[in-house]
Amino acid sequence: MITTHTLTKRYGSTTALDAVDLVVPDGSIYGLVGPNGAGKTTLLGILAGLRAPTSGTIAIDADSSDVAVLSDTPRFDRWLTGYEVVSLARNLTDPNGSPDRVAEVLDETGLHNAANRRVGGYSRGMLQRLGIAATLVGNPRLVLLDEPASALDPQGRREVLDLIARLRGSATVLFSSHILTDVQEVCDTVGILGSGRLLFQGPLHQLLVGSAVPRYHVRLRSDATPVAVALRKARWVKAVEVSDGGGLVIQVKSLADAETHLPQALADAKAAVVSFGPEEVSLERAFLGLTGTGAKQ
Amino acid sequence: MTLWRLEWTRLVRSKRWIALVGVFVFFGLLGPLTARYLAQILQFAGTDSQGVTITFPDPVPADGMAQYISNALQIGTLVVVIVAAGALAFDAIPEMGVFLRTRVPSFWRILTPRLIIPFVATAVAFVVGTVAAWYETWVLLGALPVGAVLLGTALGILFFAFIIAVVAAVAQWARSLLATVMWSLGVFLVLPIVGIVGVLKPWMPTVLGNALTELTAGASATGFWRSTVVAIVAIPALIWLAERGARRREA
Repeated sequence: MITTHTLTKRYGSTTALDAVDLVVPDGSIYGLVGPNGAGKTTLLGILAGLRAPTSGTIAIDADSSDVAVLSDTPRFDRWLTGYEVVSLARNLTDPNGSPDRVAEVLDETGLHNAANRRVGGYSRGMLQRLGIAATLVGNPRLVLLDEPASALDPQGRREVLDLIARLRGSATVLFSSHILTDVQEVCDTVGILGSGRLLFQGPLHQLLVGSAVPRYHVRLRSDATPVAVALRKARWVKAVEVSDGGGLVIQVKSLADAETHLPQALADAKAAVVSFGPEEVSLERAFLGLTGTGAKQ
Repeated sequence: MTLWRLEWTRLVRSKRWIALVGVFVFFGLLGPLTARYLAQILQFAGTDSQGVTITFPDPVPADGMAQYISNALQIGTLVVVIVAAGALAFDAIPEMGVFLRTRVPSFWRILTPRLIIPFVATAVAFVVGTVAAWYETWVLLGALPVGAVLLGTALGILFFAFIIAVVAAVAQWARSLLATVMWSLGVFLVLPIVGIVGVLKPWMPTVLGNALTELTAGASATGFWRSTVVAIVAIPALIWLAERGARRREA
């Protein structure tokens, strides 16, 4: 749906985007992740046609009328009602569509009861949902969302994530976020931006597997130190650390080795085991590893 | 909801139409009254208590229009600039600019109602104020030449069209609503100063604002052809400048 080639944006001597080769597959929900100042908003602005790139090319497989954009903090004329905002958006993007679509998206975004209130009285979360309603009302094929859930309370965030998830199959969604759990929950494809460069791009599972180091976490009721000494002698163990809570973090050569040998090794060391299991690799750990933030910490 | 209805709603719900009509009607009613009773007003204020006696010539009908325009032109220009800037500086709040720019591929489609609705509202307000001043002048001071009033009103409307075109151009280059208002007012402060140079004065579009005063006082209509031509040329040029500004702008 979207392909960019060496997309670069400079503001004077500052490089906001550095040769970004973005590939957003048709029908995917693509999460663009990066720390503040990584270039997420600049990239979305260029894709939306709101900013001009310094160099590079962009190919979007959709008419401009099929592309909908939502800024991170949507604002509208205070004296319009919610219904009028969405009605205006429908008229501008899908004038031949059914007027019933306005009420439909207001219902989907939970604004049905506030539809006839002026938006000057809306909370920030309601404005965000109104922005999403105005984005979806034209049945776009490509949706660009800049931090769509950042201003919302947990319930509002859940509703927005559900809305985005429901778009799967009917539209391609590219959304930026710094809330990694949101991206991990909704997206099937991830791009990680750092200092204007695309550090990783691909399916989420590929990122998680690629970042995985085979580790086991063991919680013990007994003293962990003699158990650690015993385990370090095993050939399938690469390293053992005693964690602050008295548990063990065991780095193994392969998870299969650990699954075969670890229970017996713990029994031989007379360890009082509370629980043990493989370390789950989170997007956060992968993100911190790629952006170098984790190393600094 | 369409972009045209949006502008109409902006005018009505934000009560801007009241400011527009109010300022012209207020001065339309006050101007002839002041002209008729200026001597009495100053006498009542007690200027002769300081040993000075001011004698005024008897007011004539043209004084009614002169009082109306002298007041309405200044405050009216300020109000028109603010109202037009509120509609035309749609990028002053970037999120609202993004809402429009990403949904409307043609800048002209956004701009046209934002030019036309404030202009029509301004023209109507100016005409209503002028009719009020004309009627009251007739009642208090006597009749005014119909042709002079109609031509002066038409040139006044052209002047306000020029004001709105200036605001449109400034709005697409300035970064905020306040900057749009201040830079636009700056233009209308500078133009009369440029007009001090005698040879340039007849070419200044700002001269059109006073056409109603001068024509009803007996000035010849031919004295306004140069400023009329400049205004007619400048208005599309300023709108073209607005379009250029909109194209280069990044949200």
